Amino acid sequence: MRPGFAIRFALREMRGGLAGFRVFLGCLILGAAAIAAVGTVRESIQAGLSAEGARLLGGDAEVELTYRAPNAEERAYLEGISDRVSMITDFRSMAVAGDARALTQVKAVDDLYPLVGSVRLDPPMDLSTALDGENGLPGAVLDPTLMAQLDVTTGDTFRLGTQEFRVMAALTHEPDSVTSGFALGPRTLLREADLKEAGLLAPGTLYTTRTRLDLPPGTDLDARKQALATQFPDRGLTWRDARNGAQGVAEFVDRLGAFLVLVGLSGLAVGGVGIATAIRAYLAGKVHVIATLRTLGAGRWTIFATYFVQIGLLTLLGLALGVTLGAGLPVLLAPVISARLPVPAEFGLYPAPMIEAAIYGALAALIFTLWPLSKAADVRAASLFRGADDAGRGLPAWHFLVAIALLLAALVGVATWFSGNTWLTLWTAGGIAGALLLLGLSAAGIRWLASRGRRVARGRPALGWALAAIGGPGTSAASVVLSLGLGLSVLAAVGQIDGNLRGAIERDLPDRAPAFFFVDIQKDQMPDFRDRMNSDDHVSRIDSAPMLRGIITRINGEPAREVAGDHWVLNGDRGISYAGPLPERTDLRAGTWWGADYTGPPQLSFAAEEAAEMGLSLGDEITVNILGRDITATITSFREVDFSTAGMGFIMIMDEATLASAPHSFIATVYADEQAETQILTDISKAMPNVTAIRVRDAIERVAGILGGLAAATAWGASATLLTGFLVLIGAAAADQRARIFEAAVLRTLGASRARILASLALRAALLGAAAGSVALLAGILGGWAVSRFVMETGFEVMWPSALTVVGAGIGVTLLAGLAFAWAPLAVRPARVLRGRE
Amino acid sequence: MSSPLLSLDHASLSLRSNAGRVDILHGITLDVHEGETVGLTGPSGSGKSSLLMLMGGLERATGGTVRALGHDLGKMNEDALAKLRRDNVGVVFQSFHLIPTLTALENVATPLELAGHDDAFDRAADELRAVGVGHRADHYPSQLSGGEQQRVALARAAAPRPRMVLADEPTGNLDGPTGEVIVDLLFGLRERYGSTLVLVTHDTELAARCDRVIRLIDGRLDVDPTG
Repeated sequence: MRPGFAIRFALREMRGGLAGFRVFLGCLILGAAAIAAVGTVRESIQAGLSAEGARLLGGDAEVELTYRAPNAEERAYLEGISDRVSMITDFRSMAVAGDARALTQVKAVDDLYPLVGSVRLDPPMDLSTALDGENGLPGAVLDPTLMAQLDVTTGDTFRLGTQEFRVMAALTHEPDSVTSGFALGPRTLLREADLKEAGLLAPGTLYTTRTRLDLPPGTDLDARKQALATQFPDRGLTWRDARNGAQGVAEFVDRLGAFLVLVGLSGLAVGGVGIATAIRAYLAGKVHVIATLRTLGAGRWTIFATYFVQIGLLTLLGLALGVTLGAGLPVLLAPVISARLPVPAEFGLYPAPMIEAAIYGALAALIFTLWPLSKAADVRAASLFRGADDAGRGLPAWHFLVAIALLLAALVGVATWFSGNTWLTLWTAGGIAGALLLLGLSAAGIRWLASRGRRVARGRPALGWALAAIGGPGTSAASVVLSLGLGLSVLAAVGQIDGNLRGAIERDLPDRAPAFFFVDIQKDQMPDFRDRMNSDDHVSRIDSAPMLRGIITRINGEPAREVAGDHWVLNGDRGISYAGPLPERTDLRAGTWWGADYTGPPQLSFAAEEAAEMGLSLGDEITVNILGRDITATITSFREVDFSTAGMGFIMIMDEATLASAPHSFIATVYADEQAETQILTDISKAMPNVTAIRVRDAIERVAGILGGLAAATAWGASATLLTGFLVLIGAAAADQRARIFEAAVLRTLGASRARILASLALRAALLGAAAGSVALLAGILGGWAVSRFVMETGFEVMWPSALTVVGAGIGVTLLAGLAFAWAPLAVRPARVLRGRE
Repeated sequence: MSSPLLSLDHASLSLRSNAGRVDILHGITLDVHEGETVGLTGPSGSGKSSLLMLMGGLERATGGTVRALGHDLGKMNEDALAKLRRDNVGVVFQSFHLIPTLTALENVATPLELAGHDDAFDRAADELRAVGVGHRADHYPSQLSGGEQQRVALARAAAPRPRMVLADEPTGNLDGPTGEVIVDLLFGLRERYGSTLVLVTHDTELAARCDRVIRLIDGRLDVDPTG
């Protein structure tokens, strides 16, 4: 090999310009830009969350408790380590104004709130002034959504429990809202002291307190966390600090970002198809140059190195442009993106996502160019004397195949490392490879069908030419199906999964789910509650159970997390019930139920599926911290718990004697006709103002909204893939234009009208688009069915509106790309074209 | 003699190029009668092929008139010209110009399909057999030799039984014996269908087989064409 010659010759060849590389560069730029952009937004949000951890948390650190506030000893300890201490109480309640009722998430604060950041109100005023109220009523500030639901404005009054409040302002910004987690109702902010007369925080009412700490500068947060755990072991205190103030959000953003980067990889795979096509076309045009070089004595490796250097330089250019574009766009659009993000973000150029995009782009470019490059080296000197060269056929030499396999393995390895999720990466890689294989096979099938269909099309010349172009030599069927198919497949799958999940949630679930959850019903209110529901003809079923909440701290004496890892049951506190005799509709799967009059050592019945996931067996001892007290119970039975119906389901039920004396309230589910829901809500909230009603239909809408957002994010990712596919399509159409011009010239010589030729061009684009759309639809339906059936565990039916949109998009996009290049074949004079080829 | 099938009256052709205007044909006046065979000869660049293109309406005269089959080609739009060729004119090129995505049979059937013949494929198969490549009907052009491709092109030109066949160096890319076969087939068209033949060639022997030879030099006729 002569590297010096290869570099010099590569540079000389590039003096001709980059016209032949537009599609190559476009695919590379788009693929790298999409990944860099997703990564940059993700890094910006992580930086924002990290920088504003204290504000998001509402203090340097926070101690959370369920059902109670810190006792005097705990409070004294926290005050001892802090400069300032502020406590908020968070719970759900019903806000009532006239006849309007709405579920609200109440935050009761003290005078120091917020320790960090500031509250913004409309009209602008001081929070303390707002909460002072006026005309003898305490004040409250409400989320504008809640004000609309209650139909109140500033100066109006509303009721929480038995306490009237005056609406002093709309709450337009709550500094610590991000860390409040999933809320079913919009926010009401009021002063805790004003709740005393409301009758809401009765014993057993579900509420959370968060004690925020303003720590002295330089405090060792880890040491403080350890010291608290040592000082108050097993009290149910949960510590969070500013380092991970919005840990849940950060993890969510991280996972979503990783997922979207993987979707971006599918764009790069489609771009790879375009890259390979462009390089193959470029090298096909260089056969005579290569053959001449071979005649003059250039070896295979010199030829390979010459074009490798050219393509390597262009790859560097494409990556530089793509990464700059991808990282720069979010920075340029920072004000627009920030305005739409519910979390803070610090936009800037972060090296990590730029490096990530460059590595992905470089690997993809190498993988997709090595094959055609290796074939270029196979061109023989004899090609000069023969019309065509057969070097393009067959497999590359074995060392190239090994190199391509190693690069593919490196790409999957790098993706696994970057995403931090091996299974997700392997599934995605397998999905992309499987989809490309399926699309490749489909393209072959489409060619076969088109060539078979030509006999049927006899007598219809436009259709015949279209089928001949699809099924005959030099067909673009493979590049169209591959380039469009992957993006459309992802879009189709997202449409099917989203539609079925929404269907399951919005259409099927309300038929099986209760109309309401009523929580915080006091024990002495239960008989009245039951009477009211039983006397209502619209109510078909009532389930009720006592409810407490507790955190599993130990399993067989060992810390729970060491035994069961990070299973979701161990994340925070869970609802716990108790029962004497076996409750109705209980499906006992293993073990025995304690008797109705059991008074022995604590016993526990655990949900069977979750127990299996956590590795629990009958006889295991579970320690649960309830209201600051550890209770250790033995598992004596496993029950089937079906959460899919949104009915009542407890992971843990203890024997009655163990928990009946602890302060607690009741929860009830009521199954009723939709038209009776308003009446039931009005009746209960009037008679039992402390009871909170959660309308299941509203909750379902919230969940469906969140799922819709995730589906939209994925669809955007898929759209980037589709855009790359469109670019590849444009490239293929442009490369094909000479052939189309020639074909049109011959047809016009033979007497074809321009309308007929145009019809044929449109037909072949539409047929290929419809074929690509149909294949994608099939792949999408298969993918959607698999995810719905095995991951979401919902039923599945084909979502035809979404399905037809995908096929329509396929036709539309290919028509657009095909017809954009139809003008030249129609406009050119046949004589000029044909004589040019003599 | 009958009225001319083809009549050019002071026809000229100029093309614009990057280097400026290029005058290719100057005031060509000639008649070609039905059933006649005419050889067009002359040195390279003399305008032979351009004159042939004017006759077939594949190129438009920039001056004078070109009348073919009773029509003034200058007054017809592109689609009308295409229809005129479809029904009356067969063209054979030096480089064959078969459509690469169509088989031999489909290439030959194309003008018949365009004309709406129900038996397009049967007639195409007959034409292929007549030129000796019936066994290659399902092959694509890339799978045929040069001689076979030109036979297919000839079959395609002959299939609509045209009143006029225009052939541009039809043997230029073929070896001697193969070229002779093609020429025999081409002249056979007059016997089979009574077609008028205008043939561009460098080959003086081939030209001599024509009823009349017209020589062009620098875009002008070298002899009195009206003979």
